[in-house]
Amino acid sequence: MAIGNADRVPQSTSMASDQQPLLEGRTVSKYFGGLAAVNNVDFAVYPGEIVGLIGPNGSGKTTLFDCLSRLQKIDGGKITFKGQDVTRARPYQVARMGLSRTFQSVRVYRKMTVLRNMLISHQWRDTSFLHMLRPSPASTASRAHQLLDFLQIEHLAHEDAGHLSGGQRRLLEIGLALMPDPEILLLDEATSGVNPTLIETIKDRIRTLNQQGKTFLLIEHNINFIADLCSRVYVLNYGEKLAEGTPQEILRNEAVIDAYFGA
Amino acid sequence: MTNGPPADKNGNETGKKARFPSLAPVHSLLAGWTGLALWLLLLLLLALYPYTGVSSLALLVGSQIFVLVTLASNWNLIGGMTGYVDFGHAVFFGVGAYIMAILVTGAPLLISPQWGFWQALPASGAAAALFALLIGLPTLRLKGPYFSIAMLGTLVAMREIVRVSRPITGGGIGLNLPPVLNRIGDYYLMLAIMGLVVSLIWWIQRSEFGQSLIAIREDEVGAEMRGINTTLHKIAAFMIAAFFTGVVGGFWAWQNTFIDPDGVFVETRTVEMVMMSMLGGLGTVWGPPLGAVAIYLLQNLLWSNLFEWHLLALGLLLVLIVLFMPEGILGTLGDRSSTSLGRLLARFGRNR
Repeated sequence: MAIGNADRVPQSTSMASDQQPLLEGRTVSKYFGGLAAVNNVDFAVYPGEIVGLIGPNGSGKTTLFDCLSRLQKIDGGKITFKGQDVTRARPYQVARMGLSRTFQSVRVYRKMTVLRNMLISHQWRDTSFLHMLRPSPASTASRAHQLLDFLQIEHLAHEDAGHLSGGQRRLLEIGLALMPDPEILLLDEATSGVNPTLIETIKDRIRTLNQQGKTFLLIEHNINFIADLCSRVYVLNYGEKLAEGTPQEILRNEAVIDAYFGA
Repeated sequence: MTNGPPADKNGNETGKKARFPSLAPVHSLLAGWTGLALWLLLLLLLALYPYTGVSSLALLVGSQIFVLVTLASNWNLIGGMTGYVDFGHAVFFGVGAYIMAILVTGAPLLISPQWGFWQALPASGAAAALFALLIGLPTLRLKGPYFSIAMLGTLVAMREIVRVSRPITGGGIGLNLPPVLNRIGDYYLMLAIMGLVVSLIWWIQRSEFGQSLIAIREDEVGAEMRGINTTLHKIAAFMIAAFFTGVVGGFWAWQNTFIDPDGVFVETRTVEMVMMSMLGGLGTVWGPPLGAVAIYLLQNLLWSNLFEWHLLALGLLLVLIVLFMPEGILGTLGDRSSTSLGRLLARFGRNR
C-alpha cells in the first residue's frame, strides 16, 4: 500500500558525495547554562537513508533532535533542510516543509479521538483560511483511515487517544507524523515501552515507508533495531560526536564500546 | 507482520462500555447539525416569548441571562477549547463598556459629533479585540498558571489605569450614558448577539480551526511540530473571544446607563464566566450556556434564601464542581467513567 508518493523512487543509501543532504547540521551547539548539551556536532542525512543516532543517556540525542526540528533555539551553527537555511525557522514552518518527528515522551491529543488526532495532523502547507473554517475534508479522512489501517490501530479510531496503551500511542504518534506525507521522519525512541511483536511491526513499517522514498532519522537504545534498519549510525557522547559509520563499524569501535556498552 | 491487538483488550473495552453507559452518541448528535437545529428552534421560541405578554422585568431578566450565556461561551473559546485559563477576561468587558460610554457621550474626550449606539457597539468589540491582540502577543506565550496570573494582573492594572485617566474616562466617578429605556429592544438585541455567538462557537468547534484549538490545549508543542501555527491560532481565538465580550460590555454599559472602574473591571465577572463554563462542561458548545442558566437560577435562589451567605454558598459550589465533576454537566453525562459523580450516578443506575 502506498502511503507516500508512489512515484518517488528509493535512492541510494550510500553517502554519495555529489548528493545534497536532505537535513544537515553544521557545528550545531546548544548550551543549558554551563552544560554543553550539544557541542559542535556536524550532521547530515541524505535522501532515502535510514540513519541511526545512538548514545548513552544524557548524551544530547533528544536535544539534537529538538534543535533539528527547531523546538530549541541553537546557540551556534547552522541547520539546513532541503538546501534552505532553517536555523531561525519555527517548528510549524519546518513541519510544513516536510519534516515530521515523534517524541520520547509521546505527544498525542489525549482528549481527542484517534481519528481526530489524525485529521488535525494533515499537511498544513496549502491550508487556506477558508479551509480552516470547514470540517476536515473527506480526502483527509480517507488518508487517516488508510494510515490507521497501515499501523494496525484502525479499530481504535473512535477511542480517545488517552485511553490507548503506551505502545498504541507510539503507533498513533507515528501515524500523526506520517499524516502530512513528510520527506523525513525523526523518530525519538519509537520502540521504548513497546512489546517485541509491536517492535517488529514498527520495523516492518519503517522499511516499507523507506522503500517508498521516506528518509528516517532514529534515536534508539535498541541496538538490534538500529543494526537491522540503519545504513549509517552517529554516536553521541557528552554532546559531542564520538563516532560515525555503518552499524558494523560502530559495533566494533573501541571508543563506542567504552562509552556506550560500558565494557 | 500481522500483529492484531491482543484480543482481551477488546473484551475489556466492551466491558467498560457496558459498566458506564455513555451518552457519547447524543453528544456527537448535538455537536452536529441536530444541535444547531435545536438551538435555532430555541432561539425562535425565545424570540416569540415577549409576545406572550410578559412583564418588562421578565424581559430584563431574559437579557441578563443572554449576557451571561454570551460571556460564558466567549470565555469557553479561550479557556475551555484552547485551554488558556483566562482569569482576567472581564478586562475585555470593561474595555468594551468604556469605549461605548466614551463614544456615545462624546465627552470627556470631546469627540464630536457623538456616536450613535449602533456605531459604538461594533466599535466596543473592535477595541476589545485590538486590546486582546496587544495583550495576547506577550501573555499567550505564557503557559498554565502564568498566563492566568498575567491576565488577572491585566484586569487589575486596567482598572487602575482607567481610574487615573480622568480626562478620558471620568476616573473613579465614572461615566453616565444617555438613559434610554427600551427593554424589548435590549431583549432582542442580546438574543441576537447570544444566538450569533453560540452558533459561531458551534461552527468553530466543527471546523479545523476549532479542532486545532483543542489540539493546542491537549499538546501545544505537538501541535506546533505538526504544522499548526499555534501563535496565530491562539491569537485569533483570543481576539474572537475578546470581540464579543467587548460587544457585551458595550451593551451592558448602554443598558446600565452608568459605569465606573469598580463596576466593569470586576474579578467576580471573570469568576462567573469560569464557573459557568466549568459547571456546564469546559470546551463543549452547549455546556457553558447550560452552566450560565444554571448559575443564574442558582444565584437567585441562594440570594433570596440565604442573602448573607450566598457568596459563600456559591464559592462552595465551585469547590464541589471541581471535586466531583471537573468535566461539568455535559462532560459528566458524556463519559461517566471520568468523574466521581459520573461513577456514582452509574452505580445508582446499575443498582436500580
